[in-house]
Amino acid sequence: MTSRKPIAASLAVLGYMIMIVPILFVVAAAFTSGSSLRFPPEGFSLQWFEAAAGHTPFRAALLTSLQLALLSTGLALAVGVPATLAIHRGKLPGKGFIEGLFLSPLIIPELVVGLALFQQLIVTYRIDNFPVLLLGHTALLLPYAVRVTGAALAGSDESLEEAARGLGASPMRTFFSVTLPVLRPGIFSAGLLGFITSFNNVPLSLLLQARDTRTLPISMLDYVQQSYDPMIAAVSTLILAGTVVIAIIAERTVGFTRIFGGINR
Amino acid sequence: MTTTSPAPFAAETGSPAAAEFREVTQRFGDFTAVDRMDLTIGAGQFTTLLGPSGCGKTTSLRMLAGYTRPTEGRILINGQDATTLPPEKRGLGMVFQSYALFPHMTVAENVGYGLKLRKVGRVDREAQVTEALEMVGLAHLARRKPRSLSGGQQQRVALARAIAIRPTVLLLDEPLSNLDARLRVQMRSEIRRIQSETGLSVVLVTHDQDEALEMSDDMVVMKSGQIMQQGHPADVFSAPANRFVADFLGYENFLTTSQGITLAIRPEHLQVQDTETDAVDEALNLRATVTDVAYRGVDTLLMLRARDPSGEEVDLLAETRGEDPGRYTPGDNLTASAPRHRLVQLGDD
Ligand SMILES: Nc1ncnc2c1ncn2[C@@H]1O[C@H](COP(=O)(O)OP(=O)(O)OP(=O)(O)O)[C@@H](O)[C@H]1O
Ligand SMILES: [Mg+2]
Repeated sequence: MTSRKPIAASLAVLGYMIMIVPILFVVAAAFTSGSSLRFPPEGFSLQWFEAAAGHTPFRAALLTSLQLALLSTGLALAVGVPATLAIHRGKLPGKGFIEGLFLSPLIIPELVVGLALFQQLIVTYRIDNFPVLLLGHTALLLPYAVRVTGAALAGSDESLEEAARGLGASPMRTFFSVTLPVLRPGIFSAGLLGFITSFNNVPLSLLLQARDTRTLPISMLDYVQQSYDPMIAAVSTLILAGTVVIAIIAERTVGFTRIFGGINR
Repeated sequence: MTTTSPAPFAAETGSPAAAEFREVTQRFGDFTAVDRMDLTIGAGQFTTLLGPSGCGKTTSLRMLAGYTRPTEGRILINGQDATTLPPEKRGLGMVFQSYALFPHMTVAENVGYGLKLRKVGRVDREAQVTEALEMVGLAHLARRKPRSLSGGQQQRVALARAIAIRPTVLLLDEPLSNLDARLRVQMRSEIRRIQSETGLSVVLVTHDQDEALEMSDDMVVMKSGQIMQQGHPADVFSAPANRFVADFLGYENFLTTSQGITLAIRPEHLQVQDTETDAVDEALNLRATVTDVAYRGVDTLLMLRARDPSGEEVDLLAETRGEDPGRYTPGDNLTASAPRHRLVQLGDD
């Protein structure tokens, strides 16, 4: 590759560098024994990780983020997977319209969605922040659930279900012994993407936050506005490590080509 | 598998009917895919549905299997009305063109799936799975996943899965069309062998007339949702009912007699002679001009132009064997002839 297409190869290297180098700066800065966020770090220590782990707002925010990401992913799958099945396998009239409806959160700006939810549910109806956040995140993740599982479904042979029926399986049995297992990699991919998307989301989480209901990215933004020290680099490094672990699990269990092949279809 | 209730008898074969179509029609919108079809599938018989693409073969098979409900008419399985039964209650075994093997199960699990649903215990199930896999020669691949098998092997697994449940009728929708030519010919005799070993009733869908001729006891030729002819392959082949069937089975020459009767002659039965006198005893004698010559190795094809007994200009095709390929050239005049028993009289379409 390098010898054949020197320009493409150098561009690729440049791209990776632009993405990776700043990350390396952040990671390096997190291990500093000094007290300012600068490169090269002064000495080596884990003190900022300790500080981050002991910082109560971060701990609370992490808990909120995890709860929110898990619940919204679960909800998006619970709604999105049956919807996908109905769209692809059912005899619904207006399938295209319904699919469009489920994909629309992809094109409506999140700030608009967030503002609408804020105005209507929080201001007007005085609903708690967390349920509203959950609703917003679920809507945000629905397109992923519908699209990724839909791709898995479209890639599978429709006669699989017919074969199961012919061999004596009831529709219910067919669903649990054939459809669902065939969809499992797609559901897993959608779940993973959903979790990461929710966990990293800023616009919705920013608009729908409350003092005691704040996600980690919002809490970090808040912190950076007040103090600019290596603790923020330590938190970022921890998130990065968590993401890498998830990516490795995903690669081991399903494989990136399957996951991202699912999105591009 | 055999019924104690008296089953109706198939007119053509004299064996009891495994399944029957009675005045079955299938419409999609205002398009009629199957048109008032009456069909009897003999028990223990190898029946093929033969016809060009789009003539309604798959639709018929899917109605029999219960995947689509007929718009009109009734379907009987083993003498019982099955028109509204869902597929899982019909006890038929279907092999799909795409094989439709469950990708998350091993070969053995695929084959055992139907048995598990029938609550066959583990020990019996394993024995029956092995038996079915041995029948298709794949017992050694039981633990593999379908993805890791070749097309031909996947096809055999699909076959084993369908026969493991001892279906009332085994349904095969163009099972060989995805295989290469050599494997296809091999699988024909293998499927035939499995059918005679198990005594299963089989319905095979194909658009390949060689396949139908070689494999079936009973051959059903279809056109636009209707049955054109049904019978033993040898009978259909030697006496096609109409021009469509004759055309489909490779009759190339169609002539009209002075009484207005249509005759069909196979290209290999049309003989050519240089002189008129050689052929005076033949039932058919036509002066013809060579328009083209195609050498094909085993034989040579001669394209001829002649005037048929009704005075109409016709194109003829003669297949000559053992001739020197350079013997005829376009423009040559010769005599095309055929003995009386090679002239097939056709009915109306
Ligand atoms: N679900 C459907 N909706 C509308 N039209 C259909 C449907 N299924 C089949 N048809 C039409 O009915 C006709 C018969 O189709 P069928 O699949 O039975 O043909 P076939 O004989 O199996 O052909 P092939 O050899 O190509 O498989 C075709 O014209 C097809 O387009
Ligand atoms: Mg077909």
